[in-house]
Amino acid sequence: MTVSATPEDANLLVHAYVDGELDPAHALEVERQMARDTVLAAEHARVETLRRLIRERLPREQAPQGLTRRIAAIGVPQTARWASHPSWRALAASVVLAVFLASGSTWFALRPGPTATVADMIVANHLRALMAPQPADVASSDQHTVKPWFDGRIPQSPRVVDLSQQGFPLVGGRIDVIGRVPVPTLVYRRRQHLISLSSVPSGASAILEAVPRAIAGYNIVSWTDDGLTYWAVSDVAPADLHSFAQDFRAVGH
Amino acid sequence: MLVEVGNKTPKKASSTTAAFAVGRLSDGQDRSRFQNVVLPHLADAYVLARWLTGNRADAEDVVQEACLNAFRWIGSFGGINARAWLLTIVRRSAYAWLKENRSAALVMVDDLVAVEENQAKQCAASGGSESPEAALIAKADALRLESAIAALPLPFRETLVLRDIQELDYREIAEVTKVPVGTVMSRLARARHRLTASLAVDAP
Repeated sequence: MTVSATPEDANLLVHAYVDGELDPAHALEVERQMARDTVLAAEHARVETLRRLIRERLPREQAPQGLTRRIAAIGVPQTARWASHPSWRALAASVVLAVFLASGSTWFALRPGPTATVADMIVANHLRALMAPQPADVASSDQHTVKPWFDGRIPQSPRVVDLSQQGFPLVGGRIDVIGRVPVPTLVYRRRQHLISLSSVPSGASAILEAVPRAIAGYNIVSWTDDGLTYWAVSDVAPADLHSFAQDFRAVGH
Repeated sequence: MLVEVGNKTPKKASSTTAAFAVGRLSDGQDRSRFQNVVLPHLADAYVLARWLTGNRADAEDVVQEACLNAFRWIGSFGGINARAWLLTIVRRSAYAWLKENRSAALVMVDDLVAVEENQAKQCAASGGSESPEAALIAKADALRLESAIAALPLPFRETLVLRDIQELDYREIAEVTKVPVGTVMSRLARARHRLTASLAVDAP
């Protein structure tokens, strides 16, 4: 045993060895010591066994759902509070947003509920697209035209599927902004109604919010697949929007 | 439309509006940063709080308090290790809770650690102590493991939980528990030693 390695140090190094904290040279030295020293070898066996026991027998606990919801709601503006105490801030905000939506009356129709959420932004994006000359920046019913269009513009191009057989022909695609994140949005059609389908990385926690079924008369359906939270919004009947969601999830899965 | 409004609005009001709009955006940015940083590690936060407080209801309170602080301090997060950053805040909240509700335990533990660490040095220097065989502790079931870990003094318990349950490395544990890596190592060894000893004693 070297001068620097007291019995206590040697013991600690066995733990560090099991914990993967040693560089190869020290690991080799500890392995040699354990081969010579039965006390150290027994310590090694105990630590390995204990760690295996904890890993295999202790259940992994998740945070309770109620807690997760409460934490996800931290920092979400309580617009209900604004409504009961109108201030210059609320008024100023309404001016800003009204300008943003290019319509004062839209603001009142769209005024966010108690939680100003991703859902609100999804509906706002859908509405703005309806008011624009074109609801899509790339207009094509061909999925092989729409998908490559996204490739050069955002990091992750969306899954584009052909749903014309199911009665939802593809209209095109555009890039929306949620918060400050650009997200891909596909546009499908049901008879004369348009459906906007945005996909947001689930890390943005969208799914943790209570998703309203409708905002300002626009129906909303949200689901999460493969790490992406999908938001479909349209003025088609809720049943149609649900079958759209089901068809979209079914194709290619 | 933007130009139109700008023309009609007095200059002062329009600049206030602009400043406010920027403020809102940065709030939204804080919120999404908070959600990206904190939410992925919520289970870890809850698990640590549960082991420190000893029960689930208090763990929820501690995590909620910690997350409110995390939101307040999100600007100070350096962007390196979100989990260690959050666990540090959770631990701080848990200690504040312990001080208020279990102050006796905290005081006793401080003395105990000093004594234990001295004993450990002497004991190791004099050639080690009696230690159970690995096969004896391998029989412990989940319930016995739980109660044996729960019975560990706080500094040993938190070090063991952070390493063997939450799989943090030594440096991260040192960061979270605010002690040098050497102390992390000796506490971890003591914690494992106590745990194996109590599992062996309880063994049928």
